[in-house]
Amino acid sequence: MNGEKGFHRHGENSYIAEFAQSERDVLLNLIEQLIELLSERVDHGHEDPLAALVGITSHDSPPEDEVLRRLLPNAYADEVQASEFRRYTESTLRGKKQAHAMSMRMYLKSADDGIVDLDHDSANAWLGAINDMRLALGVRLNVQENTSDVLELLSPDDPLRGVYAVYTWLGWLQESLLSALMDE
Amino acid sequence: MMVKTSTNIEEEIAAIFSGNTPWVTIVWDDPVNLMTYVTYVLMELFGYSREKAHELMMKVHTEGKAVVSTGSREEMEHDVAMLHEYGLWATLQRGDQAL
Repeated sequence: MNGEKGFHRHGENSYIAEFAQSERDVLLNLIEQLIELLSERVDHGHEDPLAALVGITSHDSPPEDEVLRRLLPNAYADEVQASEFRRYTESTLRGKKQAHAMSMRMYLKSADDGIVDLDHDSANAWLGAINDMRLALGVRLNVQENTSDVLELLSPDDPLRGVYAVYTWLGWLQESLLSALMDE
Repeated sequence: MMVKTSTNIEEEIAAIFSGNTPWVTIVWDDPVNLMTYVTYVLMELFGYSREKAHELMMKVHTEGKAVVSTGSREEMEHDVAMLHEYGLWATLQRGDQAL
């Protein structure tokens, strides 16, 4: 991989990284899947059009998918309060997470020379989107506090080894953007 | 044991009668989120200094959870929504409930 240097700060409000085509392909693929995953649940015929217009959804139960449950967690320990909150906020949260991923996609697609130049706000969108990818992969990989355990549990030919490599690389990329942002 | 001033007690009694018991936002430990990322998000969303954000992150990491903000229920719902947007695992509850 080409981007061994990751992000670096370039002036007051500019954070630059260069990506190889293979890296952009990996990121764009993850972005598409994340956007798809976060699209609305379809409830056939039960949606009140007026409520939907203001972001209120008829479903209030936590998502059945384990990854979505981590991306859209309960806000209250109490199930009744959690459901009420979800009804009014889940749709907005999905939209905000999708917007982070779409911002990242826009930068990657327009980076013809592989160079991405982020300002502070778009850097935050990238951080959020990269983190959602790491959360999604982390749930599938069953990442626990000690991450080295993941690899030990996988057989040598397990395809999840490749997923784990991507997960590790995303962590490295996120850390490099954080260093650039927090560099005073 | 912390000795409270009479002003604090009066404020708390007033809060109980007016229904303004403070609520809290709690961030829970998560094996995926990077420590630097949690610190950065707390600095960005709450305007905390790097020192304060780092201290809270360490509390989450070592104790499994930490109260990151206090205020009205509406304010805490707003804080939790922001934390969820950035992938931190957060909940809100009444401040007088056991964590």
